Amino acid sequence: MNEEQQIVVDFLTGKTGKSKFYFNDFLPLFPGKGPRDVKKILTSLVNAEKLEFWSSGSTTMYGLKGAGKPDTDA
Amino acid sequence: MAKHATPKLDQLESGPWPSFVSDIKWEAENRAKNADKVNYQIPVDCPADLLGVLELSYNDGETHWKHGGIVGVFGYGGGVIGRYCDQPQAFPGVAHFHTVRVNQPAAKYYSSEFLRQICDLWDMRGSGLTNMHGSTGDIVLLGTQTAQLEEIFFELTHKYNTDLGGSGSNLRTPESCLGTSRCEYACYDTQDVCYQLTLDYQDELHRPAFPYKFKFKFDGCPNGCVAAIARSDFSVIGTWKDDIKIDQAAVKGYVGGEFAPNAGAHSGRDWGKFDIQAEVVDLCPTKCMKWDGSKLSINNRECTRCMHCINTMPRALHIGDERGASILVGAKAPVLDGAQMGSLLVPFIEVNQPYDEIKEVIEKIWDWWMEDGKNRERLGETIRRLSFQRLLEVTEIAPQAVHVKEPRHNPYIFWKEEEVPGGFDRDIEAYRTRHQR
Amino acid sequence: MAFVSSGYNPDKPMENRITDIGPRKYDQFYPPFIAKNKGKWLYHEILEPGVLMHVAESGDKVYTVRCGTARLMSVSLIREMCDIADKYCQGFLRFTTRSNVEFMTDNADTLKALKADLAGRKFSAGSNKFPVGGTGAGITNIIHTQGWVHCHTPATDASGPVKAVMDEVFADFQAHRMPAPLRISLACCINMCGAVHCSDIGLVGIHRKPPMIDHEWADRLCEIPLAVSACPTAAVRPTKVDYKGEKHNSIAIKNERCMYCGNCYTMCPALPISDGEGDGVAIMVGGKVSNRISMPKFSKVVVAYIPNETPRWPTLTKTVKHIVEVYAANANKYERLGEWAERIGWERFFSLTGLTFTHHLIDDFREPAYYTWRQSTQFKF
Repeated sequence: MNEEQQIVVDFLTGKTGKSKFYFNDFLPLFPGKGPRDVKKILTSLVNAEKLEFWSSGSTTMYGLKGAGKPDTDA
Repeated sequence: MAKHATPKLDQLESGPWPSFVSDIKWEAENRAKNADKVNYQIPVDCPADLLGVLELSYNDGETHWKHGGIVGVFGYGGGVIGRYCDQPQAFPGVAHFHTVRVNQPAAKYYSSEFLRQICDLWDMRGSGLTNMHGSTGDIVLLGTQTAQLEEIFFELTHKYNTDLGGSGSNLRTPESCLGTSRCEYACYDTQDVCYQLTLDYQDELHRPAFPYKFKFKFDGCPNGCVAAIARSDFSVIGTWKDDIKIDQAAVKGYVGGEFAPNAGAHSGRDWGKFDIQAEVVDLCPTKCMKWDGSKLSINNRECTRCMHCINTMPRALHIGDERGASILVGAKAPVLDGAQMGSLLVPFIEVNQPYDEIKEVIEKIWDWWMEDGKNRERLGETIRRLSFQRLLEVTEIAPQAVHVKEPRHNPYIFWKEEEVPGGFDRDIEAYRTRHQR
Repeated sequence: MAFVSSGYNPDKPMENRITDIGPRKYDQFYPPFIAKNKGKWLYHEILEPGVLMHVAESGDKVYTVRCGTARLMSVSLIREMCDIADKYCQGFLRFTTRSNVEFMTDNADTLKALKADLAGRKFSAGSNKFPVGGTGAGITNIIHTQGWVHCHTPATDASGPVKAVMDEVFADFQAHRMPAPLRISLACCINMCGAVHCSDIGLVGIHRKPPMIDHEWADRLCEIPLAVSACPTAAVRPTKVDYKGEKHNSIAIKNERCMYCGNCYTMCPALPISDGEGDGVAIMVGGKVSNRISMPKFSKVVVAYIPNETPRWPTLTKTVKHIVEVYAANANKYERLGEWAERIGWERFFSLTGLTFTHHLIDDFREPAYYTWRQSTQFKF
């Protein structure tokens, strides 16, 4: 994992009380970067099977793979 | 013999309108028979169980579906909606019943060959039930299980050369009217822009990183057959700048009763003889038309291109030749602060491949909205919160009188410091030399 | 039911993966006469309800037969459409934004045979598979959402009320008797997946009770902070409660702030919102999308609540039919329902229709409300 990916993972494993986050929640982790660059970091983590998407159908969130309460007994 | 008794739903089989209950029952029978020896990958009786759980809702007036968020295909954040039944023991066939959205071809033309391929796939790996189409425009495949999602995606991309649509906080599947393909009113090739931008923005469509959903829709003219102005964050609506073309002989054809007005749309009632003065000239919202008994004239400079006269006499009047589109932004349904119609941002833009000018406007808006939009805030709400002026600044568009229906009702203008000579820093000492305390 | 692999390898999801290819290109699916005349159309005529003729500069004529569908359809029915397309339409067809299916041919004899064939196709219980209509100054197909068939927050069904309403107004699907086009839409909750808010007649499922709270399960089933942040009106907050003698981390809801959107239930299954007694349908009228004559308009609520009377929603269908008839009898030619109501005034709309005006119909939701009150001495007694 590169340094930027590590920043995201550290944030998610830290004490947040939540397992899922909006895209905007990650922007403050990278003050110098625009949204498109931050998206690239998140995408790379999804492709590396570290993160996964959670979708309400209308909105989408990111979380660590397998974190949080299990979805309905799938 | 049906798996579940559905006395209430059975009452929706009578009457002339196509009965979805009859159709689902038919699919249940066909699956039970399995004449084509399909190797069903999800329960054969899921259509029967769907009717069963629906009958339950008809009895208690409540839904029996739950949402499930972590279903999808690897690497994509949209295109699949998770669904679970809250009575899985009674209706095991639909215990897991996820929706797959497939990106429709622009304006929904199909070959029977392609549609049959989708049917075969969905017969084997899904419920055999669909929506043609979802509100946004996708082919909606209604009901499959988690283990089938990657298989469906693999077959769609490998065998059928097609992809999923959008859901969640992303670019939603774009849609267009049928445009120049079969309409004389279309001011640009709506299908082509729709297709090209869908391809160019695949990353935005599949990997959500917006504050909320974002919709493009492309209407070929102000009649608005795909309702872009009412429901898309970014509506491109065809228009023209020059004169409406008039065929005076055809005008006389309408006046003389040779042609049915409004293309025959009023044929079911006797509205009396066509009266060009009352039905066209007097209904023109800008009163820019004249009929002198033999010649129709239009003061095109005053025309606002509402389409009424053209719709009413389509053989006689035609859209101008200097064609393009207006861009309106920020439409949305009422949640949360009330419904919004699209607001005019770009009065006129040429619509030519590769559509770089349109994309430039889109990307400036995204850069701004991704940075400054709040979570779950549609573009229209961001504009309201941060001002239309801010939108003009970020898109580098000069304010014009056409941007408003009327000027502001108050003088509470947020002046910028640089607009005021000398700026906001003033010298209190110097002031006191002129004024006592 | 042995598992059949597509070729996908779950151990290596990225292997041979194809992504981001988008939809098939539209022009692969043009019938030849569409491909030939694209961009060169001269005019069109509606020959009869549901049958269009487009005439190109070349002199070519294309006939389109438009048929209503239930939108919810089986692969068996789609295959039947494909058979029809193969027999009469050179293997092509299209769907409209309003869920109609269109069969096209450039041959007048084929058109005749196609129409005769379509008229004879029925479902086993007798309803039409392909009713022809939905054009001009009539009532076209209802745009609608999923309802109890597939959604987790609906306040009504969608397919059922749509079937009941379309049966009621079916004659006008196949006629051009209205003063102008009349568009009906249905959304099964206030989130309005369908664009109901700009329809001549919009039917909207509404909940009237805030979610219940399953205190015992809230902390087990969901992440409470996510349910809190899902609420658009900040009505949801975390709290600790005593329930059956035990302390639970749970949720409190400020009922007076709840707008019944169901977003919290989406995030948290311990907050069910559906309620058989509370749920039902509101009727909104007078919206339009077209820029023709007047600018686009939002629909306005004229009936606050009609209960879900399954399976055929008799009060709802009767009310819709009544509004349609009063509009048809009173509006001028070319006048959309909303234009008519504005010309005569909404007070006259209520007196003509006999609908009861109640306090529910006065807007009190946030800033736009003020602009809907009457700031004038002009009104009708």
